[in-house]
Amino acid sequence: MESLRVERLSKQFGGVWALNSITFSVEVGDRVAIIGPNGAGKTTLFNLINGQLSATSGSIYFFGKDVTAMPTHARAHLGQARAFQLISLFQKLTVMDNVLLTFHGATSSRFKMFRPVEHFTDVYDKTVQTLKTLGLWEKRNEPVSNLAHGEQRRLEIDLGLALEPRLLLLDEPSAGLTREEGLEIIGVIKNLGSNNTVLIVDHDMDLVFEVAQRIIVLHYGEIIADGTPDETESDQRVREIYMGLE
Amino acid sequence: MTAAPYLAIALILAIIPLFLSTYGQGLMTRFLIFALFAMSYNVVFGYAGLLSLGHAAFFGAGGYAVALLKLHAGVDLFWITAPLGLVVATLVAGLFGIIALRASGIYFLLVTFALGQMLYSLAWNVKWLNSKGMQGITGITLPDLGIPGLSLDTISFYYMVLICFIISFVLLYRLVRSPFGLALVGIREDESRMEAVGYNTWLYKYTAFVISGAFAGIAGILFAYYNFFVSPKHLGIATSFLPMVMAIMGGLGTFLGPVIGAAVYVFVETFASIFLPQRWPLILGGLFVLTIMFAREGIGVYLLRIWEKVSHRYGIAES
Amino acid sequence: MDWFVINLLNGMSYGMVLFLIASGMSIVLGAMGIINLAHGAFYMVGAFVGWTVAVKCGATFGLGILAGGLSAGLVGLAMERGLLRHLYKQPNEQVLLTFGFVYILSNVCLWVWGGWPRPPFTAKFLVGSFEIMGRSFPKARIAIILIGLILAVGLWWLQDRTRMGAIVRAGMDDKETTMGLGINLELAFAVIFFISSFIAGAAGVIGAQLLGVRTDLGMEVLLLALIVIIVGGVGSIQGALLGGILIGVIDAFGKAVFPQLAMFTMYLTMIVVLIVRPTGLLGRKI
Repeated sequence: MESLRVERLSKQFGGVWALNSITFSVEVGDRVAIIGPNGAGKTTLFNLINGQLSATSGSIYFFGKDVTAMPTHARAHLGQARAFQLISLFQKLTVMDNVLLTFHGATSSRFKMFRPVEHFTDVYDKTVQTLKTLGLWEKRNEPVSNLAHGEQRRLEIDLGLALEPRLLLLDEPSAGLTREEGLEIIGVIKNLGSNNTVLIVDHDMDLVFEVAQRIIVLHYGEIIADGTPDETESDQRVREIYMGLE
Repeated sequence: MTAAPYLAIALILAIIPLFLSTYGQGLMTRFLIFALFAMSYNVVFGYAGLLSLGHAAFFGAGGYAVALLKLHAGVDLFWITAPLGLVVATLVAGLFGIIALRASGIYFLLVTFALGQMLYSLAWNVKWLNSKGMQGITGITLPDLGIPGLSLDTISFYYMVLICFIISFVLLYRLVRSPFGLALVGIREDESRMEAVGYNTWLYKYTAFVISGAFAGIAGILFAYYNFFVSPKHLGIATSFLPMVMAIMGGLGTFLGPVIGAAVYVFVETFASIFLPQRWPLILGGLFVLTIMFAREGIGVYLLRIWEKVSHRYGIAES
Repeated sequence: MDWFVINLLNGMSYGMVLFLIASGMSIVLGAMGIINLAHGAFYMVGAFVGWTVAVKCGATFGLGILAGGLSAGLVGLAMERGLLRHLYKQPNEQVLLTFGFVYILSNVCLWVWGGWPRPPFTAKFLVGSFEIMGRSFPKARIAIILIGLILAVGLWWLQDRTRMGAIVRAGMDDKETTMGLGINLELAFAVIFFISSFIAGAAGVIGAQLLGVRTDLGMEVLLLALIVIIVGGVGSIQGALLGGILIGVIDAFGKAVFPQLAMFTMYLTMIVVLIVRPTGLLGRKI
């Protein structure tokens, strides 16, 4: 079953085509990595899929539904979750508030105005549970900015996962992490079930080759390769582009 | 968060005026009205992070509704004027919110300012909105509560205001502690993350804007009765500045900050009017600038820290 | 026909004053991202100083303009260097701080000069009128239009054609990188702010030919500047010019046709622009 399809998707900024008629589709359970040099359009692609940017032309289908014009928050409710390139946790808010906010976002109680947050036990208990599982219970009242970079990254990804998304968009999840932390992330992604589709953008080729069973290579806004890791490795054009980056 | 300190303060607010002159009672009334005005502003600015420069539009709208009912229909009954005033203020906020939220950042500021000034200009120019031969509407008297034999005087009006204040306080308190309130804070911190985790941020901002305006309207209604007079000035930027000053001086984004700020404001205003009446705007401006530069979290938070240190010293338990 | 021309000229002269007021504010907003709500107060300070020099001391009008500009420029520089620059990347606090200054400066002017309004004054050689199409039209207003045009050209040149303009625009986007390139951004910001405040103060004296000098000018001029910026668009000289002239002319014809409406035509224009094009007619994205 198809989870995501992108058809002739294009995005123009001023005179520049950041993405030029991109077409590909992804099945449920796929692990797809999107790689390419800086400026190739990877984050722009994520922004379009997730709704932070609107397409200049083309369409995006999520589980068969045309979401091209749908606002981000609606896509979140359809099952998209995202970890951003720059950690997007609320730095000045406490760890607990961060988790509460993320979990509430998925529920209908998020608009309730008359009872305190603690009253909504389904979300509250889940928050407590998650904090304890992640070993962050002790630090729950500290601002997120007090956590180490690796801890923050783990938290952001774990929060994304806790919502059991149908599509997980990971934008450079290993950025700024140590070797061990990177391995942990790989483990987390590998342990995801076959119901989750994962799209991952990263520069760490070890991680990419470990995790992805399919690699799409972007260059100047166009797809220049799309295949298995082995195919990608031996693709001539890809080798040319990455020669300097080895 | 126990209720004890709040109950104690409510008790103090209830008892103190009995020992004051009518002048003192009037000051306390003024403090409560301004505190409510500042608390309303705290919702849209302190919690949701939207810097609005036209908050007096809703305050004045509430006041003008009351005044016009008196001027053109002779209505004194609080149970008619107050709900109508609230409806008017809320409608104005509803309309202005739609226009203003089309803009963001600097433009939002400009638009809210413009809309407020437009109301000011309307009030200035349209004859129907003014008492004969002057700017503004006079002749407002203390409201009629519809209870035979009971007519309000200074002290009983104070208690009426206190009750309105307490009700509003409780409602706003519940609002900021609710998931909705938490979401406002999230939007203030990082709107695009909030969108990504499923919040329709426009709707939250709009609702916060309207709720904020509604409570400002309540303050405005009470103010009209306190002041016996409304003028276009109460719709304009000079009045919009007041809740900003109070909320910031007291501590933005904290719940009690605006209340403390209102107390500081009324105190300094009274002090200045006795000793240095000519220099009051200078003192206010200077105090404001000093707060922004050196006590960014507000005098209220600063005082709270001192309170915490003191209570630790003397072992006063505060769980 | 002569009615039309006279009103048009009236509108243009008022519009030029509005342009002068708004241009400084727009420069700072576009270049530094700061909304300086004290801009009207700078105008007022300049107007009072200019009055003291040109009327009280009897010096030339030109000297009055210079004195007005310098005094406002210095006040602005002090505010920026002393306080505003510590609030970098906190736009809300910056806006609020400048608003506090409106109160401070208005009251200081009241203290120093007293509350009685000064009537409009002008240079000795500009007293009197020209005859235009059989009607008399004050010389001072023609002068205002000319000064406005000259300044518009000069500022546009500064904005688009000089290194200074480009530097500041780069600095706004990315301070660290710009500074890393060896460009003294602090100096650039200080100069920009000084120039903007200078223009405000000079505008105060030039505008005094129409508006006189009062202590409530601080707030009133701020209102006018914001309306012009909303209509004309933020961050460009062209926007301030278009906004100013448009408002000025609409106001003049509005008053001529519906005398009881006063400032209302201005607000109406503003609301229309807000609904149709919230970033202003020639607005630049900040």
